Amino acid sequence: MEIAGRRLALSNLEKPFYPASGFTKAEVVDYYRRIAACMVPHLRDRAVTLKRYPEGVSGPFFFEKRCPSHHPDWVRTAEVRHQGETLSACLVNELASLIWVANLAAIELHCPLARAASPETPDALVFDLDPGEPADVLSCARVALILRQLLSRLHLASLVKTSGRKGLHVFVPLNRPETSFEATKTFSRTVALSLQNNYPGLVTAKMAKEERHGRVFINWSQNDAAKTMICAYSLRGVEQATVSCPLAWEELEQLAAAEDPEKLRFSPGEVVRRAEQSGDLFAEVLMREQRLPHL
Amino acid sequence: MAQQGIWSGTVSFSLVAIPVRVVRAVTPGRISFRLLHRTDYSPLARRMFCPQHQTLVPPEEIVRGYEIEPGRYIPITDEELESVTPERSRTIEIVDFIDLDEVDPLYFDRPYYLLPLKGGEKSYRLLAEVMHQTNKAGLAKFVLAEREHLVAVKSNEGALLLVTLHYHSELLAADASTPKEIRGSAAETSRIKGSIRKMLAEFDPGKYADARREKVRELLQRKAREQAPVTSPHLEAAEEAGPPDLVAALEEIMREVKQQR
Repeated sequence: MEIAGRRLALSNLEKPFYPASGFTKAEVVDYYRRIAACMVPHLRDRAVTLKRYPEGVSGPFFFEKRCPSHHPDWVRTAEVRHQGETLSACLVNELASLIWVANLAAIELHCPLARAASPETPDALVFDLDPGEPADVLSCARVALILRQLLSRLHLASLVKTSGRKGLHVFVPLNRPETSFEATKTFSRTVALSLQNNYPGLVTAKMAKEERHGRVFINWSQNDAAKTMICAYSLRGVEQATVSCPLAWEELEQLAAAEDPEKLRFSPGEVVRRAEQSGDLFAEVLMREQRLPHL
Repeated sequence: MAQQGIWSGTVSFSLVAIPVRVVRAVTPGRISFRLLHRTDYSPLARRMFCPQHQTLVPPEEIVRGYEIEPGRYIPITDEELESVTPERSRTIEIVDFIDLDEVDPLYFDRPYYLLPLKGGEKSYRLLAEVMHQTNKAGLAKFVLAEREHLVAVKSNEGALLLVTLHYHSELLAADASTPKEIRGSAAETSRIKGSIRKMLAEFDPGKYADARREKVRELLQRKAREQAPVTSPHLEAAEEAGPPDLVAALEEIMREVKQQR
């Protein structure tokens, strides 16, 4: 078939990728086609890590940082350093590239916080909120809302998306050339420790499993050149097809008040509808310039 | 143990210039303690508190004020203070040589050693020797730690010693509490003279030690042997507390956020 002037062959489209609901590979590819306008800006110029599920979400998966060598010549790549070696990573800068990686059964797309050309300059800071059972996404919502208030008092705008699994991701757009991972890590760690000290029953800043039980772990260490985050609008490889979905803060307030964790799960169909109605709620992450205070 | 210098430059007078560095000659010698939270031994931090607003004050909201009378202040900025801070000097310029016996010990403040740097050993030794023979000391102005000091450079067993001197205006007069006229009988005078003679000794500073410090040290050593030290819970977190300004700002915001919720 031909997409935006690029020729590519799609395969095994009838294969159920989410067997629990019968959601097929064709539907996965179609979801990515329909969300591309919102999603591609978040992928552009980043060394994408593909999480591939060749047999669907119930089968084995593998992470692929290296762009498969058989890629069409119009799929752009970037040389990146990874664990001491240089490798060539895919850049998903246009619709056709997104469809091509979707056809590779890359259900999940993970991105670094920096662009490939400036790998040491994060253009956003992230608070990765991960609930330890029995804490859930509602506990994360509580923490996210406190974080938002805290950040706004520091004159920092923030945005939130679901992880598509059980957590939430709070992003602070920076988009300034002088930002370093050292700064974003110090800042996020300090904020995480402060939250931990003030809400010891709700929050932990520590990786240790026993500390995370019943609490929300703020994984500040994601602010690192070597780490990747699930891209906004990526599908997740869980039983039911869900998406890492950007939310408006007011929406999160209402959903948290409703106390139904199911309401914080978004299916591909809902996400496409939301995008048609409200556009990209995460667009500000790529544009707003902010400076971290008090460092 | 080689001490780290706190200043280096030259001692100079007329046409002589001796490269030297300045090291401390005394340590405060106090045993210091950390303040801990009794409940879990977390180390405590000092924060500025505003009693008027019942709130912690972040660094950017703190200014200096000189109190002219209770409740009335002249605010002064860091820039203003900096504008009157003397430049760090590169030389200890001896302007006068004086007789050491003329200096009242009241003026002596802090002693430092002057140590010769490469190329200065010969003139250093010569100056120390001559000042020792003549019992003279050099007077100089010297900027140390942003303050201009009047200092005496004197000889001390082959080494040069620098002693900062109190300014005349810093000395307090003793006349308020000492009796003006001395009226003692000849018998009383000779009795006191006799006592002093009997108690006369060579000054042996090693004989005197700070008894309390020794006792505190012994106490600590005994406790360390007898029981394991306590550990603060978030040692890792405390060490990595983060930039103080950010920590202070967060604590203040957090307090308000909690009140609202």
